[in-house]
Amino acid sequence: MTSLTHLQKLEAESIQIMREVVAETENPVMLYSVGKDSAVMLHLARKAFAPAPPPFPLLHVDTRWKFRAMYDFRDQMAKEVGMDLLVHINPEGIEKDINPFTHGSAIHTDVMKTEGLKQALDKYGFDAAFGGARRDEEKSRAKERVFSFRTAQHRWDPKNQRPELWRIYNTRKHKGESIRVFPLSNWTELDIWQYIYLQNIPIVPLYYSAERPVVERDGALIMVDDERMPLEPGEVPMMRKVRFRTLGCYPLTGAIESEADTLPDIIQEMLLTKTSERQGRVIDHDSAASMEKKKQEGYF
Amino acid sequence: MRLRLDGQTVAATATQTGLSAPTVSAAWKAFREGGWQAVPVRPRGRKVGQAQRLDGAAQQALCARLAEQPPAPEAAWSSEGVAEALKADGHKISPRAIDHWLEAHDLKPSPLLLEGLERHRSVTGRWYRHQAEPVLERVRRADGALWQGGVRVSQPGEALAGEPRRYQLYLHGKRGKLYSRCLAVPPRAEDYLVLFNRLLDQADGKPVVLIFRGAWFDRVQEIGGWLQEHPDFRLLPWPASS
Repeated sequence: MTSLTHLQKLEAESIQIMREVVAETENPVMLYSVGKDSAVMLHLARKAFAPAPPPFPLLHVDTRWKFRAMYDFRDQMAKEVGMDLLVHINPEGIEKDINPFTHGSAIHTDVMKTEGLKQALDKYGFDAAFGGARRDEEKSRAKERVFSFRTAQHRWDPKNQRPELWRIYNTRKHKGESIRVFPLSNWTELDIWQYIYLQNIPIVPLYYSAERPVVERDGALIMVDDERMPLEPGEVPMMRKVRFRTLGCYPLTGAIESEADTLPDIIQEMLLTKTSERQGRVIDHDSAASMEKKKQEGYF
Repeated sequence: MRLRLDGQTVAATATQTGLSAPTVSAAWKAFREGGWQAVPVRPRGRKVGQAQRLDGAAQQALCARLAEQPPAPEAAWSSEGVAEALKADGHKISPRAIDHWLEAHDLKPSPLLLEGLERHRSVTGRWYRHQAEPVLERVRRADGALWQGGVRVSQPGEALAGEPRRYQLYLHGKRGKLYSRCLAVPPRAEDYLVLFNRLLDQADGKPVVLIFRGAWFDRVQEIGGWLQEHPDFRLLPWPASS
């Protein structure tokens, strides 16, 4: 009997979770944030239901502030996989022109991401949503279950989570409840990169190192991705060899200086790193335990 | 010798090995006359323990000077220029010691390799053929000045862990001579404009071309406006590597 490698075990677990959701829920959706975790999740979904396309749509909760390369990649992938891509932007956010500069990262995230996500889930009546969050990303994600229940108001109660013994998942919902499902919960960032490498999964080029125009903001390297990024008087962006370990709204996502422009180089860099990928996300540092607060309010 | 045997020019061999062109020529001559045996191989530099070290005060004075604007019409500090200025401050430091200090602190970037670029089948090669070469040709015909330069962040090695990283604004002039300013914060538009104005002043009415790497001027109105007002100054941004 051959034993599975650790990546094969993770893959099998994720596929089982996805099949379980499709079997037990009425209207599932896969949240697609266009990052590397979403790329892996989408790849696993295609494997789980091959030869048919996955039996749920992709949902992108757009903030209008993602990197341009992410939008290009999203549209290209949606075409390639043949799945429905739903894009939702909070109309209130558009109306009030909510942005990370004028309103700050906390309000921007709350209105455009958290509220936007809740609106989209309500609008389409989804009762289960796959997300690509992993335990190793952040401490509040570490304690969240794979099947994470939300009230009708989309709130999460970290003190009231169902046990998941022997990987048996209780999928019964009360009326109005929904489930956030994390098939990659037990993966690490290194697992993700190794899997991308082994399976040759396409990812946004921003993950690879290249010379990009950046400015420094509170010690973070922020890419000047379009003309909306305000420059200070007399400020000149520098072209620096950077890449992104995580992708979000470009004004809130810090780049790292890196020479890693191939997958083996990225994996090599990963093996030596001592920091979490989410150190580059401004929104995680808004206040103490800010991720947990956001999650309780409905953020992924 | 191996580079010369591979067909590299004396200048290219000197650039790649860090030796001077006369040293490469002399070694090549010796090799042709007497083979490998005849090539003089000597350890480079001073013997261990004989190096002139800069004390803390001298290093501080050097850093402070490098952060300032050099006296007009210099666009940035050469080793000789900064040694002269430090002498006036009471610090006797040779240009060579300053060169070594710059090298140890990763503040001695190499000039861009333009030789043979017109044959490269790359983004940089295309940029050179279509954008740089016609401008360079015009400036050469008008007997103008050709400069290279850039902005970068120093990466001091592990031996200097804890040393601050510096933003270096640098130029390479004739024969690759280095001029630089080292700042604690990224250079601002006014720093670039002083640099450009001084290069133009030095040219005595002749055109100037500056191939520049490491800055993104597209959205900087002050610099765009200045470039429009000074058609004799051509700024050629080095294409981004991907």
